[in-house]
Amino acid sequence: MATKGNRMAKRNRRVGYGLPVVLAIVVHVAALLLTMLRLPESEPTPSSSSVVQATLVSDVTATDQAQYAKEARARAAQRQAEEAAQQAAEQQSQEEAQQAAEQQAQEQAQQQEAERQAAAEQAEAESERRQQAAKEAAAARAEAEEQQKAAESQRQAEAKKQQVAAEKRKAEEAEKKAEAEKQKAAAAEKQRQAEAEKKKAEAEKQKAAEAEKQRQAEAEKKKAEAEKRKAAEAEKKKAEAEKQKKAEAEKKRKAEEAEKKRQAEAAAKKAAADALSDSISNEQERIANAEQSDQASNSFINLVKRAVEDRWHLPANADGGLVAQVRVRLGPSGELLAASVTRSSGNPSFDRSATQAVEAAAPFRELQQLDAGLQRRFRDFNLKFTPGDVQ
Amino acid sequence: MNDSMSIPHLIMNASLVVQLVLLLLLAASIASWVVIFQRSFALARARKTQKAFDERFWSGVDLNELYRDVPENYEAQGSEHVFRAGFREFNRLMPKTRSSEAVLDGVQRSQRVALSREEDRLNANLTLLATVASASPYIGLFGTVWGIMGSFQSLSMAQQATLSTVAPWIAEALVATAMGLFAAIPAVIFYNRLSAIASRLLGEYEDFAEEFHSILHRNLQGRGSNQAS
Repeated sequence: MATKGNRMAKRNRRVGYGLPVVLAIVVHVAALLLTMLRLPESEPTPSSSSVVQATLVSDVTATDQAQYAKEARARAAQRQAEEAAQQAAEQQSQEEAQQAAEQQAQEQAQQQEAERQAAAEQAEAESERRQQAAKEAAAARAEAEEQQKAAESQRQAEAKKQQVAAEKRKAEEAEKKAEAEKQKAAAAEKQRQAEAEKKKAEAEKQKAAEAEKQRQAEAEKKKAEAEKRKAAEAEKKKAEAEKQKKAEAEKKRKAEEAEKKRQAEAAAKKAAADALSDSISNEQERIANAEQSDQASNSFINLVKRAVEDRWHLPANADGGLVAQVRVRLGPSGELLAASVTRSSGNPSFDRSATQAVEAAAPFRELQQLDAGLQRRFRDFNLKFTPGDVQ
Repeated sequence: MNDSMSIPHLIMNASLVVQLVLLLLLAASIASWVVIFQRSFALARARKTQKAFDERFWSGVDLNELYRDVPENYEAQGSEHVFRAGFREFNRLMPKTRSSEAVLDGVQRSQRVALSREEDRLNANLTLLATVASASPYIGLFGTVWGIMGSFQSLSMAQQATLSTVAPWIAEALVATAMGLFAAIPAVIFYNRLSAIASRLLGEYEDFAEEFHSILHRNLQGRGSNQAS
């Protein structure tokens, strides 16, 4: 009896929570595994109701790829920082201003030389103070502004050392612009010099020899002094700012030239490196924009498919097994350039109906809303036409 | 069902509120399953001991012997608890009073107390199951509504609302409702089942209490008639 009581006592002990907790966790793990488990039979090949299946063609030509790379690089630069664009604009304007300043400085220098050569010109400079004073005042203002801008550009240039690739491109562009503008500036200078000389000649003629001689004498003294101090003072004062500007501009130019030289020296290497960096930047961009572009491309492809499906009139004699592939090439704004049958179904009327559907569905204006890189991808794609369950 | 639409992937990509809701529901589900297992074991054991005690009690054993034959630190459960409470009270009152009415009243009172304790013990934690069963669908619904709100907010920024842009969001939001139902359905089923078992056991205890009371009553009547005669 006592043993029975003991056994009952053991049995009557309270039920603990250890085992239930373990069992509960086991239940949940099992449920989780069930959700992750994929029954192979439960996935029949989805019979898509979509009649038209679009597939992207990746046969982009080499030139296209180069262009694409350039575009990608440009986009990368644009995206790297919006500031970059602003700074680029600023820099361009600053460079233009610097170039203008250089032109002015050159003008001034040439004028000085002319003054040195012809003492009357210095006198004229005094007599024609209105012109030159105005010019110099403007130049001084410009100089001040340019100094600030130059300082800013220096800072920005330092900050832009990080954006070397963008810088290089900008620098190249700037070089081109600078060259173009130098040519323009040279022409303008010649004109201006010619005009100035004409004016001066006229003024000289007008103001006669009397004034000239006196002024020449005064001017020659001044000129002599100025020429003596030229290296020290007069030149320095005027040239200092210019020198600063010029130094900065020339530094840049020298840097650009050095870059040019380097690029010229290592042209092949540069090209290879460019291609590499292009591909790298492309890759990075693709990775960064993969989701977005996927979504966008998805939506665009869906749009195209739906538009084409809506306008597709199946010929009466079309069988279920026909498959036609139509290559669609689009213009930059989404207009249809060409729709050609790349894989015929063997049924000419079916092929024609497919191309007609694409032609009727065009233009695909939504292409403009895509990114430049995506646009390029979708400029050329294949559409596969299968009648499916549509009779 | 591609990889991005699998349930773990959806949960990982859900928003914080939805994830918190899912976590809460997971905790509720685990707790309810712990209660389900614990109560199932406890009730099964209680039924077994009830059956064993029933057999022993009705085997014609002497009640004094039954009462005395217990090990140390023995905590009786079920109808045995009712029996011991009633018999202890009976033994204590017998020497003190001659009135059988008073004895029977005292026995009945102590049996009621024991019954109430047993009821508490049987129904322990079942309220948690009831709470999970009724609340978790709403919690899951909250997560879904929140997720769909977020999906529409982000949809307003998308240029084109195709099904493929909406579908992941909606699926992700619906995971919360699924989780709520996953927690609630077992809780409902087992709450009903366990509370039915508990109330049946309690009914058996009450029946036993009445039978035991009638036995004591019979004994007292016999004693009273013996004394009278």
